[in-house]
Amino acid sequence: MIEDVQSLLDEEQEQMLAFQARASSTDNFNYATYHSLEEIYDFIDLLVAENPKLVSKLQIGSSYEGRPLYVLKFSTGGKNRPAIWIDTGIHSREWVTQASGVWFAKKIVQDYGRDPAITAVLDSLDIFLEIVTNPDGFAYTHSTNRLWRKTRSHTSGSLCVGADPNRNWDAGFGLAGASSSPCSETYHGKSANSEVEVKSIVDFVKDHGNIKAFISIHSYSQLLLYPYGYKKAAVADQKELDEVAKSAVAALTSLYGTKFQYGSIYTTIYQASGSSIDWAYNQGIKYSFSFELRDTGRNGFLLPASQIIPTAEETWLALQTILEYTLNHPY
Amino acid sequence: MQPRRPPPPAPGPPRPAAPLLALPLLLLAVQGAAAPTGPEAAEWRPDTGPPHGLLRQAARAALHFLNFRAGSPSALRVLAAVQEGRARINAKKECTVDLVFTTEHYNSEEGEERLGKCSARVFFRNQKPRPAVNVTCARLMEKTKRQQEDYRLYKQMKQLRNPLDGVSIPDSHGHIDPSLRPVWELAFLGSSYVMWEKTTRFLHYYMAQLSGVKQWETNDGAIDFDYTVLLHEFSTQEIIPCRIHLVWSPGKPLTVKYHCQELLAPEDASGTEEGSAVAPTELSNF
Repeated sequence: MIEDVQSLLDEEQEQMLAFQARASSTDNFNYATYHSLEEIYDFIDLLVAENPKLVSKLQIGSSYEGRPLYVLKFSTGGKNRPAIWIDTGIHSREWVTQASGVWFAKKIVQDYGRDPAITAVLDSLDIFLEIVTNPDGFAYTHSTNRLWRKTRSHTSGSLCVGADPNRNWDAGFGLAGASSSPCSETYHGKSANSEVEVKSIVDFVKDHGNIKAFISIHSYSQLLLYPYGYKKAAVADQKELDEVAKSAVAALTSLYGTKFQYGSIYTTIYQASGSSIDWAYNQGIKYSFSFELRDTGRNGFLLPASQIIPTAEETWLALQTILEYTLNHPY
Repeated sequence: MQPRRPPPPAPGPPRPAAPLLALPLLLLAVQGAAAPTGPEAAEWRPDTGPPHGLLRQAARAALHFLNFRAGSPSALRVLAAVQEGRARINAKKECTVDLVFTTEHYNSEEGEERLGKCSARVFFRNQKPRPAVNVTCARLMEKTKRQQEDYRLYKQMKQLRNPLDGVSIPDSHGHIDPSLRPVWELAFLGSSYVMWEKTTRFLHYYMAQLSGVKQWETNDGAIDFDYTVLLHEFSTQEIIPCRIHLVWSPGKPLTVKYHCQELLAPEDASGTEEGSAVAPTELSNF
C-alpha cells in the first residue's frame, strides 16, 4: 500500500512541476519577463479573482480576428465616477508597454490601502486599464513577426494587412502625418474608427461619459507628449498640460535618472494625424497624454526584459503625478 | 589604389594625474564631402534656435559616419546629449548644422558613464541622403585598449562557426547571448555605414534586429560576414530589411556592400537600394 501512495505522490509532484510554469497567483507571476497573450489574459483573471472588491474585467469588444478586448476596472464603488483611461500595447511590437501594463495592474492593487496617494485617487476616481489594446498584432509578434505594429485587418484591394491603430482616430483623420497606403506602417485605415480595436475604445469612452484623463502608452523614445499631433497649433490648455508633463517627467527621472523630453506630439516627435490623444482631447478630456517609454534607440522595440521592471517603476511615478493632478483638478 | 600612408600620429598618453577633460581633442578628425559655400538666405533667429529635432538628427548622422570611419567594433558610440548647436538654411533648402554633443560607449552595459565630447558640422542637401559630415571627437577609449578589444572581438568571431543560421540577434526578449555579442557589434559597425548613407534631413534609422548571419572563410584571415539587418526608420516607422556583406580585420579598413529593400507595396517588386564602400586608409575628403 505504501508503495502505491508513494507513486501517487510522485505523480502529483510531477504534475505540480508541470504547472509551475504557469503562475498560480499574481504573487508568483514573473514581472521581469515578456509574456504571451494567453499568459497576460490568465494574469488578468487571477488579479480579478484575488481582488474581487477592487478589480473587475470588462470586455469592450472583440478584435478583428475575434480576440476579446479586455479592460480592467479598478473601482472602490460609486456610480460612474470620474475616471482615468490608460492603454498599453496599441502598437503590438512595443512589448515593454504591455509588460508595464501588467506591472501597473499589480501595483495598483498592492498600493491601494497602503499608499496614501493612490488610495486617495481610487477613493474618488476609477481607473480603466487596457493592457493588450491590439491583441491580434500582439499574437502576431509572438507567432510570426516580432516587429509587427499594426492591427491585422484585411483591406480589400490590397495584399497588405493592417492599419495603424494610432492613426485611425477621428482627429485630423487622413491629414498629413499618416499614410494612405495600406502597406505602410502608418496606414490610417479606410476611415476613422474603421479598426474595431479603436472603435471599441471610442464607444466605451463616449458611453462612459465621465473620463477625465486619457493616457496612451507607447515605446520607444523616452517622451511624454500632449496634443496635438495633427497640427502645429497649440491646444487651449497647452500651458497647463506642459506644467503637468514637466512635473510628471521630473517624478519619472527621480528614480533612475532616465531622461525624458516632453511637449506636444507635433513639436516633439513628428506630425501624426488620427492619434488617440488628439481625439480624446477634442472630446473634452483635458488631461490627455501619450508616453514613449525606454529606450532611445540602443535596443528600441527589443528592450531587454531586465529593463521591464525599472521602466514600469519609473513610468508609474509619472502616471501617479498625472492621476493625482487629475484628482486635485476636477473639471 | 593609393599607397597606404600611416595614420597621423596620436598624441602621447596622458599623464596619470591629468583629469579626463585635459585629454587632447582632435584625436580623431574625420571629414566627409566638402559642404558647398554660398550665400545663406536665412538663419534661425537666436531666440528661437533651430528645431531641437534637427540638432539630434545631425548628431545621429555624424555618429553613424564616425562609427563607420573609425572602423572599430569595440569602440562604437551612441548619442548621449546635444549640448549646443545652430543651423543655417539656404535658398535651395540645404541645411548646415554645427553642433556639440556628448556620446556614450555603445558596447558598455548601461550605467557606464563615459561621455566623450564631439563637435560636428553636418550638411543636409534638402531631402537627399548621404549628409556630408565633418566630425571631431575626444577619444573615448585609449588607443591600445581599443586595439586589444578589437582583436579580442576578432578572435571571438573566428571561433564562431556557422551555427548562426536561423538565429535572430537579439531574440524576441531583447536578449543577446554573450557569445553572440561580437556578432552584434560588428553588424552594428557595418550597419552604421548603411544608416549614414540613408539618413536625410528627415529620415533616421536604428538597428532593430539581425538575422541570417553567415560567416565565410577568407584567405587572409579577415572576418567575412553576410547578414540581414532590420533597420527601423523612425519618422515613417517602417522596418527596412538590408542585406549587408562586410569584410573586416582589426586595424584594417572595413569594406561594406549592401542591398536594402524599400518596401512600399508587395506588388512593387522594384525599389531596392544598393551601395558599397571601402573606408579609405587616409583620413581625407572623398
